[in-house]
Amino acid sequence: MSWRDAPRSPDRAPNQVHVPEGARETFPLRRRVLPMDGVAGQAIETARNRLIVTAALFGLCFIALGFRLVDLSLFQGAEVAAHAHRTPAKLAARGDIVDRNGVLLATNLDTASLYADSTRIINAGDAASALVTVLPDLSRADVEAKLSSGKSFIWLKRNLSPRQQWEVNALGLPGLAFQREERRVYPYGSLASHVLGLVDVDNKGLAGVEAYFDEKLADPARVAQPLTLSIDVRVQHVLADELAGAISRFNGIGGAGVVMDVQTGEILAMVSLPDFDPNDPAAVPPETRFNRVSLGVYEMGSTFKTFNTALALETGSATLASRYDASHPLQVGKHLISDSHPQNRVLTVPEIYMYSSNIGSVRMALDAGTAAQQALMNRLGMLRRTSVELPERGMPLVPKPWLEINTMTISFGNGIAVTPLHLATGVSAMVNGGVLLPATLLKSDHAKAPSGMRVVSEKTSESIRRLMRLVVMRGTGKKAEADGYLVGGKTGTAEKTGANGGYAHKSLLSSFVAAFPMTSPRYVVLAMVDEPRPNKDSAGMATGGWVAAPAVGNIIMRIAPMLGVEPVDEKSPVITEAMYVPMQGEGAE
Amino acid sequence: MVSYMASRHRDLTLGAKLLMVNWGLVFLVTLIASIGFAMLYSSAGGSWSPWAGKQVVRFIAGFIVMIGVALVDIRFWARWAYPIYAVTLIGLVAVEVMGSIGMGAQRWIDLGFFQLQPSEIMKLALVLALARYFHGISLEQVGRPLMLVAPLILVLLPVVLVLKQPNLGTATLLMLGSGAIFFLAGVRLWKFAIIIVAVLSALPVVWQFMHDYQKRRVLTFMDPENDPLGAGYNILQSMIAMGSGGITGKGYLQGSQSQLRFLPEVQTDFIFTQVGEEFGMIGGVVLLFLYVCLFAYGIAIGLGCRNQFGRLVALGITTQFFLYVFINMSMVMGLIPVVGIPLPLVSYGGSAMMTLLLGCGLMLSVSIHREHRLPRRVDGLN
Repeated sequence: MSWRDAPRSPDRAPNQVHVPEGARETFPLRRRVLPMDGVAGQAIETARNRLIVTAALFGLCFIALGFRLVDLSLFQGAEVAAHAHRTPAKLAARGDIVDRNGVLLATNLDTASLYADSTRIINAGDAASALVTVLPDLSRADVEAKLSSGKSFIWLKRNLSPRQQWEVNALGLPGLAFQREERRVYPYGSLASHVLGLVDVDNKGLAGVEAYFDEKLADPARVAQPLTLSIDVRVQHVLADELAGAISRFNGIGGAGVVMDVQTGEILAMVSLPDFDPNDPAAVPPETRFNRVSLGVYEMGSTFKTFNTALALETGSATLASRYDASHPLQVGKHLISDSHPQNRVLTVPEIYMYSSNIGSVRMALDAGTAAQQALMNRLGMLRRTSVELPERGMPLVPKPWLEINTMTISFGNGIAVTPLHLATGVSAMVNGGVLLPATLLKSDHAKAPSGMRVVSEKTSESIRRLMRLVVMRGTGKKAEADGYLVGGKTGTAEKTGANGGYAHKSLLSSFVAAFPMTSPRYVVLAMVDEPRPNKDSAGMATGGWVAAPAVGNIIMRIAPMLGVEPVDEKSPVITEAMYVPMQGEGAE
Repeated sequence: MVSYMASRHRDLTLGAKLLMVNWGLVFLVTLIASIGFAMLYSSAGGSWSPWAGKQVVRFIAGFIVMIGVALVDIRFWARWAYPIYAVTLIGLVAVEVMGSIGMGAQRWIDLGFFQLQPSEIMKLALVLALARYFHGISLEQVGRPLMLVAPLILVLLPVVLVLKQPNLGTATLLMLGSGAIFFLAGVRLWKFAIIIVAVLSALPVVWQFMHDYQKRRVLTFMDPENDPLGAGYNILQSMIAMGSGGITGKGYLQGSQSQLRFLPEVQTDFIFTQVGEEFGMIGGVVLLFLYVCLFAYGIAIGLGCRNQFGRLVALGITTQFFLYVFINMSMVMGLIPVVGIPLPLVSYGGSAMMTLLLGCGLMLSVSIHREHRLPRRVDGLN
């Protein structure tokens, strides 16, 4: 760098002592070194002259820097700043997220934050009074203190609404200005928070579909195209509302719910409670971000008897007319397997399902065999993560090795832990004609709906439908009835594993999984309440039939009209015929 | 006269040396460093942690080392110039072989309690070695092309090693700083012309060897607004911040661009931005002026020194100091591409601070021992 202007320096032969006349006078120091030997003197001479050149170069460089500094401070910087503010839209762009009907679930909003340059405030008191009339949530004293602080930059209020910004501008006060900010906004607040997830301050996805589709959402080329989810915000609201009601009625610690289209695998609603507001995630503890539906794995309990019955029918080890002895509890090693609704007699397969008999289920599973059970669970996807479009996906807990004792407990939903989403997906396959469709959060194009994978036969699926309807008509799920919508379902009450590994008898997981209308099911609804406590109306019960079934009934009553499901006359012969289940042991009930 | 001067200065007592320390330079260094403390205090939003406090401690440690280095006899530095260079070169090879990897560049040896950057030490070691070499030969010898082979190798070995790390900024400093010493030692200008032509023709090859991030920096420099969120972000935000400072600035602790972290890591290479934002054009010019004073001291020390070694050391270090300031400020103000070079004594960071204070110590040593005559063959001295 320093030799760039070197031609200015007089070039000369090394042996020649050539000092310009001017230099002689300018640098009297040189004379002092003359007594030294000639060559060294020349060296010093040369060095000294070249030093002047170097120093001059330094000076020139600094003059250039000084000019640039002035230029930047006074002219160009302001221009660049203005330019940067003119074209901000493309800076933080992120695609919108909408529900299946195009309702906006997440978008970007330009907001303005108000700050003051207090050195330019004319009368802090008057300005504060005026501001408070427009922004009533500010304290006048506080604003006045800020405006008279003498600071040239001080925040007054972040994220004003456009109306507030307009009103502040209309005050015409000097010294106030706005900082443009870009915020990810979730108009529905905490609704669907676990589906949507959240973003950090730089609008980068941290959880939910915001994280799963982060690249797509942040891709400038695709920003104009909103991400269309399978969620129906109306259904989402009903599910969240009813689930919250059930949790509060039974003092539960949380809950989970799913509504799923059985023909496509689309998730219309997914609720995990407690939830959070992605607009302000810091307001609640971080545990609220846990997605119980897709990430939490639980022993689901008796809802699994649906799969156990399908297993028996599918393998042919039993028919609807088969009978199993459920008169005495089963002693298996040190465990005693008993029924919670004991009939103390021989039960037919429909009765075992209807009364949720553990003893009967175990005997059915033993007949079908371990290998067949394992194969069905595998086909149903119960042994691997779901493929739902969320980063939060739980891995099922599966027995290894899979012994006969496991076969026995799995028959009634213990000894295997899956996510509620696994259960809803599996039940969808049970009722839709026997085809497993992977759960998805993206709206599917019906023309190219996935073909799915057959897990049980049409015939088995048809029988399961009748049995699920039977549970609601006459068994443990009567409270899930929604008149005219032919609800079928299955209760589940699991005991949660305590901290010491044993079962904590007071901590229940009460669930109900339903489908409707059972003649030709369109939707599966799952509701689950974590650790419900019996209340005075529930006769000391906190089981799935008492806690979750009524919620599911309410949900179906509310969402069926939205989803275009027409009520039918349940007493009509066609329906009665379609839902008929042969009940040899009927006299006993 | 000569022998009298020599004997008078050969055995200065410690007290006499302390009196001869150039306290004006020491004051100037402290003043500039104090501006750095103030800026770091401000960029942490008015807090001593995490930067300002540590920086003060480092400065105090470096200050003690500086005074220590200043009191060491210049003959010691002359005698040990080559060994210091050799050991530093071995250190550079060592980081190449087994150094810990950080930020995509191998740059330091981890001594457990301290991370040693041989490339930083090399900036001074190379100045010492070149000064020693040119001290040892006559101007006539400087004119012989063959005599320049050895110093060129002295320069190229570390430059290649540093480039391999890869650390473009330090390699540039080493080359330009050495070029200045060659120039001051009297190397003929047409030889520089040859080297410049050689370097220019090597540029396409260098481009091939550059890391993607380095290429991006150069390309971004061409048009920062093309990529306002990516690599151009720093330059753009920096210019916005400087522009928003105006003539007098927004006031101390009031820089919104810097404090609201529009500019990430402002406390290191981009701290001049904050000076511009908070103290405006006037603050920037004052800091610029303080640096000019510092260089004036360096040049004056070089001019006043009676031995070639001391002169070249003082001027070599001053040149490096100047290059630091010039490259950093040009980068911050968008005149050259972003290279990782801190603003001397002001930017947050321990390694650079230590090197600069060591360098100041050497300059002070040259100043104290300015009347010494060193014979060509320094080894002959006691």
